[in-house]
This record gives sequence, C-alpha cells and structure tokens, in this order.
Amino acid sequence: MKKVFLALAAAILAFASAQEINYITGNRGSDVDYATRKAQEYMADHPGVTINVIQGPESATDRAQQYLQFFEAQSGEVDLFEIDVIWPGDMAEHLVNLYDYAGYNEAAPDFFPAIVANNTVDGRLVGIPYFTDAGLLYYRQDLLDKYSLSVPTTWDELTAAAQTIQDGERAEGNPDFWGFVWQGNAYEGLTCDALEWVASNGGGEIVEVQEDGSKLITINNENAIAALEKAASWVGTISPNGVTGYQEEDAREVWQSGNAAFMRNWPYAYSLGNGEDSAVAGKFGVAALPMGSGEGARNAGTLGGWQLAVSKYSANPEVAADFALFLTNHENQLDNAITRSLLPTRTAVYEDQALLDSGSAFMAEFLPVFQGAVARPSTATAPNYLQASQYFFSAVHSVLTGEEDAETALALLELDLESLTGFPTAQ
Amino acid sequence: MAVSTKAPKARQLSDLARQEERTAWWLLFPSLLLLFLIGIYPLAQVFYLSTTNKRFASSQPTEFIGFANYRDLLSMTVRELPVQLDEAGQPVIEDGKKQYESWVRVLPREPLRYRAAFEFGFFGKRYVIGAVNADFIKSVWDTIVFTVVAVALETLIGLIIALALSRKFFGRSVMRTAMLVPWAIITVVSSLIWEWMFKSNRSGFFNALFDRLGWGDGNTVFLVNPALQMPSIIAIDVWKTAPFMALLLLAGLATIPRELYEAAEVDGANKIRKFFSITLPLLLPTMAVALVFRTLDSLRVFDLFQVVFGERRYSMATFAQFTLVSNKDMGLSAAASVIIFIILFIFAIIYMRSLKVDA
Repeated sequence: MKKVFLALAAAILAFASAQEINYITGNRGSDVDYATRKAQEYMADHPGVTINVIQGPESATDRAQQYLQFFEAQSGEVDLFEIDVIWPGDMAEHLVNLYDYAGYNEAAPDFFPAIVANNTVDGRLVGIPYFTDAGLLYYRQDLLDKYSLSVPTTWDELTAAAQTIQDGERAEGNPDFWGFVWQGNAYEGLTCDALEWVASNGGGEIVEVQEDGSKLITINNENAIAALEKAASWVGTISPNGVTGYQEEDAREVWQSGNAAFMRNWPYAYSLGNGEDSAVAGKFGVAALPMGSGEGARNAGTLGGWQLAVSKYSANPEVAADFALFLTNHENQLDNAITRSLLPTRTAVYEDQALLDSGSAFMAEFLPVFQGAVARPSTATAPNYLQASQYFFSAVHSVLTGEEDAETALALLELDLESLTGFPTAQ
Repeated sequence: MAVSTKAPKARQLSDLARQEERTAWWLLFPSLLLLFLIGIYPLAQVFYLSTTNKRFASSQPTEFIGFANYRDLLSMTVRELPVQLDEAGQPVIEDGKKQYESWVRVLPREPLRYRAAFEFGFFGKRYVIGAVNADFIKSVWDTIVFTVVAVALETLIGLIIALALSRKFFGRSVMRTAMLVPWAIITVVSSLIWEWMFKSNRSGFFNALFDRLGWGDGNTVFLVNPALQMPSIIAIDVWKTAPFMALLLLAGLATIPRELYEAAEVDGANKIRKFFSITLPLLLPTMAVALVFRTLDSLRVFDLFQVVFGERRYSMATFAQFTLVSNKDMGLSAAASVIIFIILFIFAIIYMRSLKVDA
C-alpha cells in the first residue's frame, strides 16, 4: 500500500514537473529522423521532459513564412526553431537571449566567431550555430592536369584558366563546354555570389557595422565596381549567357554532366559530385574561392547554414535552450557530420580523429574557408535585410545582363539602401 | 367606394408582403452573414491595414498613416530625357542612334525618390516614366499586357479547337479528353515543365529545336532576357488554358439549334456566312462568361509568375506576396491588394456593361 502511494506521489510529482517542448525541424527525411533520434536520447537522460518533433516546410521561404505567423500570433506553440543564417536580425525580437541560459557563456567561444557574431543582435545571442555552409570553388583536377594549369588563386587566373580549358575542350568537339558556372539568377543566391566577388576584391560587405556599433553603407566603391565589371565580363565568354538565370542546381547540372571546368557552389555538391550518376566523380577538387586584385583582397566565401533559436513566447525556454545546447555539443555535431554530411560549427570537431577516419573527412579541407567566411549584412540591415538583398541582387543582375553599367548600378543601389535603412554612406 | 375597398385590401396585402419580406430576410440571414464574414469583413480589414504602417510579425507600434502607402505605390511622373551631348555640343551617336542621358539625372529625388519604370520614344523624343515604386507599376503593366494578350490568344485558339471538336469524327471523345490534359495539370507542375523546356542551353527543348533549325546559338535565355520573358510566359499560359476555353465554348456550341444551320443552308448561306451570322452571335453569351472567368483569373495570376520568374519580374499578385512575406511590409502589401481589387472590379464592370453578362 505504501509502495503504491509512493509511486502515485512520484507520478504526480513527475506530472507536475513534466516539461514539454515542440521543436520544428526541416522536411527532408533525415531531418525528422535525426531530430527524433536526438530527442529520444535527450529524453532518456532527462525524465520528465517531452520533446515533440514537428516537420517543417521544405523551402526556406516557406519556413520563414510559417515562423513569422507563429511570431505574429505571439504563439508559444513552437519552442525551438531552426533558423537560416540570414534570419537572426529579423527575428531577434521574438527570440530569447541564449546568454541568459546555463552553459552558453562557456560554450560560445568554441563556435566559429563569424557565425556567433552574425547571431548576436545588440549583444544578445539569439541563435546557436547548428551547422554551417560557405561558398567554394570546385575545379576539375583532370582538366587542370591536361592543360598543365594549377588551381587558380585569383579571379584573373581563374578567368584565364577557364578560357584555356573551354577553348581546348570545344576544339576537341564539345560545343556545350563552359569554363565557369555559378549562380547568376536574380535571387538570394546572387547576393551570396556577388558578395564573394566584392568582398574578395576588397570592396567591403555592402553594409558594415563599425567598431563603435554604427552602420555604414560601403557598397559604392572602386573595388566593388571592378569586381562586378569582372563578373559581367564572364557572361557570354567563359560562362553561358544563361548563367543569369542559374540557381545552384542549374550550375550543378552543367558541372556534374562534365561540361564545366570550374563551379562556384555550396558544399552539398561535393558528395553529389562523387555520386554514381556523376560524370565528374573522382575527377574534381574543392578550394577556397579566388581573390581579387584590389587593395584589401582576400579569400571570401559567403556564410550559409542554420541556427537553433528559442522562442520568447515559449513556456519552457530553459528546456528548449538546454536541448539546443545538447544538439550542438561536440558529440552530436560529429554525429551530424558523419551521418548527414552537415558541416560542424565547432572548430574542434574538424580535428576529431573520428571525423578524419569517416567518409566526411573532406570537411577538414574546408576548415580555413569556413573560418574566413563572410556573412551577408542580414543582421546589420535588420529588419530590412530581404529588401536590401533584393536591391543588391537586382542591381548586380542588371550589371550582369548589361542593362546598367556597374558604376551607375552601385550609385543607385547606394541611394536605395540609404532610403531603406537611413544609414550614412562611406565616402 | 372603390377607394375605400381598395385601401384595406392594399394594407392587408402589404402586411402579408411585409411578413413575407421579414421571413425572406431571416432566410437570407445565414448567407448574408457568411458573405459578410468571408467577403466584406476581410476586405474592410485589408483596407484598414492599407492605411497603416503595420509590419508583419514585428513589435513596432502600428500607426495610422492615411493614404501614404497608396501615394508610394501610385506616384508617377513623365519626364523628357535630354540628348547626350559631347564636348563640342553635338549629339552623341552610337550605332546610328542618338544617345540619351540616364534617367537618374532627370527624375526627381525629393521629397519622394522616383525610379525609372519605362522608357519610350514619341515623335523623335525620348521620355521616361518614373514611379516611386517602379516594381509595382511594372507589375501592373506586365499583368495587364499578360492578361490582354493571353486571353485574346486563348479565346481564338480555344474557339478553333471547339469548332474542330464539335464536328463528328472518329475518335472525337478521345480527342476531347486528351485536349483537357494541359488544363488538368497543376499549374506549379506545368510551369516547372515549361521552365525546363525553356532552359538556357541545349538540354532545353526550345534551344535544342532552334539549334537544329539553325536559329540562334543554342544558348537563348528565354526566361531572363526582358524581351523574351513576356512571350514565353504567355505561351505557357495559352498552352494551359486554351483547352479550358475550348471546353466552355464547346458547351456553348452544343446549345445552338441544328435547324438554324439547316434553314441557312436552304437559303444558300456558305460556311463563312453561317459562322458569322449564326455561330458567333449565338456563342457570344457563352464566350462572355468564359472571358470574364479567364480575364479575372489572369489578372490574379500568381503561381505561373512565381515559379517561372521568382523575383526577376512580378505580377501584381507576386508583388503583393513579396512585399508581405519577404519585405514584411503589411501596410504596403494591403494597399497593393486593394489596388488589385479595384483593377479587377473595373475589368468586371467593363465586361458586365459591354457584354451584358447579367442580362
């Protein structure tokens, strides 16, 4: 009788302290399976906690739309969100400051500083980096060998090498061969590509946060103009005219069928390029994107990836924050890297022997690229980032298609950004 | 006498009528309530939103800003572009064409900044139409051009298909079913299929075909080149909705009595005469209904533009969606929606009046 009573009391206590959180993840098969597996592991260690995994929509735009609807309603229905690297600024007011929760102050320095900086809005850490992404240069090793070329380190070298290989391959009877494919459609992806051209040529990062915290529009400068003029010169020469309509998959299709010497793309194309249906399997390598020739030129890949963030409207933010920390700890990032090829956000994981022994060992090569990755000015221009980005990629697109010259386009862009954000311009 | 007997009778009748009227109102009440809830209330709500600066999912306080959103969307101006002069003061001529100054120097910047929406030549001079929100003005123009051209072509092609399929021939029912396939495919799917066919290299159908025929270099950029964008998207829409037109017109053809044609034959009318004197006039009411359907549908076009053009070129609906979702400017998006509603309303009234649809 006493035992029954004790069990009952325990049950009541457990019920009283039962904490339930809802975690919204992506839509790919592995997203839900992985999240469910991790939730079960966490629940096994934390009796009394229930984590429900919710399947989110597939496209990033749809996910943003859904999240915003939760926020608009100030709904605590979802406690833990996966957010894109460009959303922290826009969504900050709906998210908790993770520094207020146990373990975050100690953990933050172990993550890539660029991503932590991107996720920090007015000193508040609104998202913990979950996995990352950055633009890479894919090159055909076999063709570089064939034409006795080395991996280009500057855009000029890339232009010349692409032209040489393209001329050679066409002369050998492949009229569909192109030197360099990338993402030139008017969409968010062009913002990524163009930011790389501009930043790698010493042209800045469109809108920059100064040391004193003030923000400055820096896009209208000589180096940025030169970078865009260079990119425009590729269209129709080493890149197809159609590149101005290309997204990631269009570039990968040309590349993977063996019809391009170089490609700018995200890391996801690596394992696909070595797949069974790929004509370039085993024939290519990846490197940091080339740099320009302007003053302050450097290697620059645009930062991508996803963060975990806790809703301000959550009833159990401590649990959600703790689970987010669990998902991003060393062991789980290693698991994510090995089982799902998602790139870790903790530097130490790249040096872990378990990773180097696995099929994901290629990630270690990317480490310098990710450390030098350049973030889009999403936090600086929040809450107007998407409009700022649209102004930017439309301006760049008009240069690529020849409707506008780079000088005029950037002067107009500067005016647009000025009236949108109210920030001063650099001069 | 007659008056005294008539008056109570009239009152009696009107009592009855009033009672019936009251019952009628009660019976109508559910539908009126429904109409209010799903029609008038949301519309009023959108109109209210359009006079505020409300942002989507933001804690920024919402303020009433009157018609500022409408001013931002609709402000337009026309300016003449001056001819570019070289140092000697002579017009700069390239490729045999006079060069003009950029619109940047001509359009006003204060208090509102204007951007170029269109440029056009008129009597040897060149003008620019500037708009505060050039994207919106372009989206309105593009949507109207799209609607007028696509609906006209659909009607014409639909009519030809309907006339062909109204004759008796072997395999007619199979043909009638096959005709409907494009209409039955979900727009998002068919838009994607067409996007692939319009691909910018020879893996795309049209580039492969034109390359075989020796036109172009096999790298025509149909969906990015501004001059080819509208023809391409109109082609997709015509392919998809001409069958719908044909179906409606086929139903209209079936209602025309055979005797009329027999009588016309007796009178010695030829085929063309029969078409213009019997078929077309009797088909007109059906055609009017079909036109109203298709026009209003086309003005609201969303999925096709969204899939094929994304953010390269907007229709009115994709513009409103972009403004709301990506830009989170709920007030501006609501104002754009109200303007779309008014444009649709004007088109509907023009149709009602000119084609006497209500009669």
